[in-house]
Amino acid sequence: MSAEKTIDRLPAVPKPGRWIMPGLGLIQGLVISGKNAIQSYYKKDRMTTIQYPEQRAVISPNFRNFPFLCYDDDAATGLRCTACSICENECPPQCIYIVLDRDENGKSLKRPKVFDIDISVCMNCGICAEVCPFDSIYMDGEYEMSTDDRFGGLMLGLDRLAKSAEYHMKLRPEEASAVMAKRKAEEEKKAAAAAAKAAKAKADLEAKAKAAAEAKAAEEAQAATEEKGESA
Amino acid sequence: MIIPLLILTPLVLLAALGAVWKARPVHAALLLALSLALVAVLYLTIGADFIGLVQFMVYVGAVAILIVFSLLITRPGDEAEEIQRRPRSMVTGLICTLPVLAVLLIALVKGNPESAPAVDAPPLSIAHLGELLFTTHAPAVLAVGVLLTAVMIGAALFARDTEKPKSNQPEK
Amino acid sequence: MIFATVPFPSFTLESLPQLPKLLVEWLLMLVGAPDWLVSIGGTAAMAGTVVGVFLSAFALLSLVERKTLARIQNRLGPNRAGWFGILQPVADGIKMLTKEDIVPTKAEWLLHLAAPILIVVPSILALGVMPLGREWVPVNMELGLLFFFSVGALTELSVFMAGWASGSKFPMLGAMRAISQMVSYELPLIISALGVIMVTGSLRLSDIVVHQGDFYFGFIPKWNLFTPWGFAAGLIFYIASIAEANRCPFDLPEGESEIVAGHMTEYSGFKYALFFMGEYLGLFAIAGLGVTLFLGGWQAPLPFLGWVPTWIWFFAKLAVIIMSYLWIRGTFPRVRIDQLMRFAWLCLIPMALLTIPAAALWVFTGKGIVSWVVTVPLLLIPWVILTILFNKRLAPATRTYTFADS
Repeated sequence: MSAEKTIDRLPAVPKPGRWIMPGLGLIQGLVISGKNAIQSYYKKDRMTTIQYPEQRAVISPNFRNFPFLCYDDDAATGLRCTACSICENECPPQCIYIVLDRDENGKSLKRPKVFDIDISVCMNCGICAEVCPFDSIYMDGEYEMSTDDRFGGLMLGLDRLAKSAEYHMKLRPEEASAVMAKRKAEEEKKAAAAAAKAAKAKADLEAKAKAAAEAKAAEEAQAATEEKGESA
Repeated sequence: MIIPLLILTPLVLLAALGAVWKARPVHAALLLALSLALVAVLYLTIGADFIGLVQFMVYVGAVAILIVFSLLITRPGDEAEEIQRRPRSMVTGLICTLPVLAVLLIALVKGNPESAPAVDAPPLSIAHLGELLFTTHAPAVLAVGVLLTAVMIGAALFARDTEKPKSNQPEK
Repeated sequence: MIFATVPFPSFTLESLPQLPKLLVEWLLMLVGAPDWLVSIGGTAAMAGTVVGVFLSAFALLSLVERKTLARIQNRLGPNRAGWFGILQPVADGIKMLTKEDIVPTKAEWLLHLAAPILIVVPSILALGVMPLGREWVPVNMELGLLFFFSVGALTELSVFMAGWASGSKFPMLGAMRAISQMVSYELPLIISALGVIMVTGSLRLSDIVVHQGDFYFGFIPKWNLFTPWGFAAGLIFYIASIAEANRCPFDLPEGESEIVAGHMTEYSGFKYALFFMGEYLGLFAIAGLGVTLFLGGWQAPLPFLGWVPTWIWFFAKLAVIIMSYLWIRGTFPRVRIDQLMRFAWLCLIPMALLTIPAAALWVFTGKGIVSWVVTVPLLLIPWVILTILFNKRLAPATRTYTFADS
């Protein structure tokens, strides 16, 4: 629907000095609004209002709301987040709170024990999603966030933040598949690197064994010559 | 017929006194409108429907509204000053009222017939009233009409905007 | 047995609106009430019928208006309360009644209280003299039309009281606008009604309706609208009635984008509801008067439709007029105050004054072809001259904007 087309439909403004019947413009206006009213009963595309609780708008992939955390297979173990705290440090309104999970020896388990986002503070800037090096945090498409609990209801913990990779794929297929491809490539690279490392280790081992064998052979040969020499 | 008169007359008088006495002009104007409306009711109760309704339409609907409207667009005066000035203004007011009172009293004394007027006279129909106005009293009606037309033309001349409407385009 | 002594009076579809009155009178007679009580009871029942009918019409209109405006704007309108939002007026009413009644500290409480009451009273009084059907004239007054305009005067006073007693600026501005607008538009309203009085020769509204009873050529109704003077007067009456009812495009007194809600700004709860009610009842009254004066009141539009009860025709015509008000409200933007005044004093009042000689000529020349020949030019030529003047000299200077027009 272009604006120019609408303007074209209206008759040209009459030249000043020519007598035209006053009220013609009013009648034109009445015709337009009357057409609106009548066509709204049978032209479905005129009614742009969505009856919200029953119908829902299809949200654009570009719609971005509060962040969520992505996990791969299992919500408890598959979180991509490593609790590196980059997002926590970058967050302008400081709404992210992370505690690193450690085992009994105090060694890092590379996963968050607590990951809280206070969405009453969050301003949907998306910086956390930009800076995350582990493809873990993304902006959500959720918009029904109202709650009657002012404090607890607006403090999202891991249980409400963690969402599966399939959810991400459904929400924003383009971005998610790119991420998946990247992660897969990385994994392959990693696997290749590991394989190479293993191969190298094996080669080393073999070389070592070979060297040892050679040394042994040389020793034996020397011993044989010494024996020969003694006997001679 | 006498009972509404007994109820309404004190009310009319009270409202009129209030209209004079109230220092705040808007209250005075509203009380004036009330007393005029009550006079209209008085006319209605004695069977003068036409006069009553015209009184209501002209005095309450037009005159009181004009007073009220002029109050709206003027700056209110100081009420304390107004009350302080009251003794003097009362004297002036009484002096101005005396001739009117005298005329009314004389008319009452002279015009009061010995015998009471026939109460059960048939009410004047509108058609009859109109006929009287436009035959017997036609000169008076015409004179009033000419006067009002002159006033209206005069008002229009006063109100006419003599300056040319300016365009709000800045001068170049 | 006492029940046998008082037979229930018969009634037809035509006199159906009289049913409450008959019922109350019959019941009172059954219990052996004195005559004066019976007559008072019957009158009260009749008044109650009129008030009840128009109050339910008000409730319905408040929904229909929102639905119609929504459709004009390609929306659905209220559709949550009940089936297609039919219970929306009930919801609105409950909301209004349960709201807090706020009186500003600077307000004069007595006048502040009296204003919303005084604004409803004249509208109901004016509806009382309306001939709603052939046998349904609540009060058949000889001076009906004069009574209508007289009680209408009270509206202006109560608007002033509301505006002034609120002790705040927006109500005051709204009241000033309302009064200047109502005074200006009452003149063309009354003057355009004068022609009807001259032709009918009576101020009784039921006489005016009966006078429009016949048909030209057997199918065009002899309504006042279908005469040259009546057409002009009816059009003027229509425009002036929109302004009198403070409706869009003449809703400056309540222009919500400029002065919040005009004289109703400081009102809340039930008092605000009363203002709302008074406005809509006034709308019914003025539209009903227009129907009575120019559209033949309760007369059927076509001769073979005479069997339909007459009060249905009155309400059908009323509905058409009200719907046209809604249509206009959904279409036009609000006019400026100078445009409003200029239009009233320079266009409507001169044209309204011209309808009086036109109506006189119409009567003197015998309401025939000669009358058409005489009255049409009498009205048309001044109108064309007026519009040319409006186009050229009287129109406000064309605005030019330094930055927007480039």
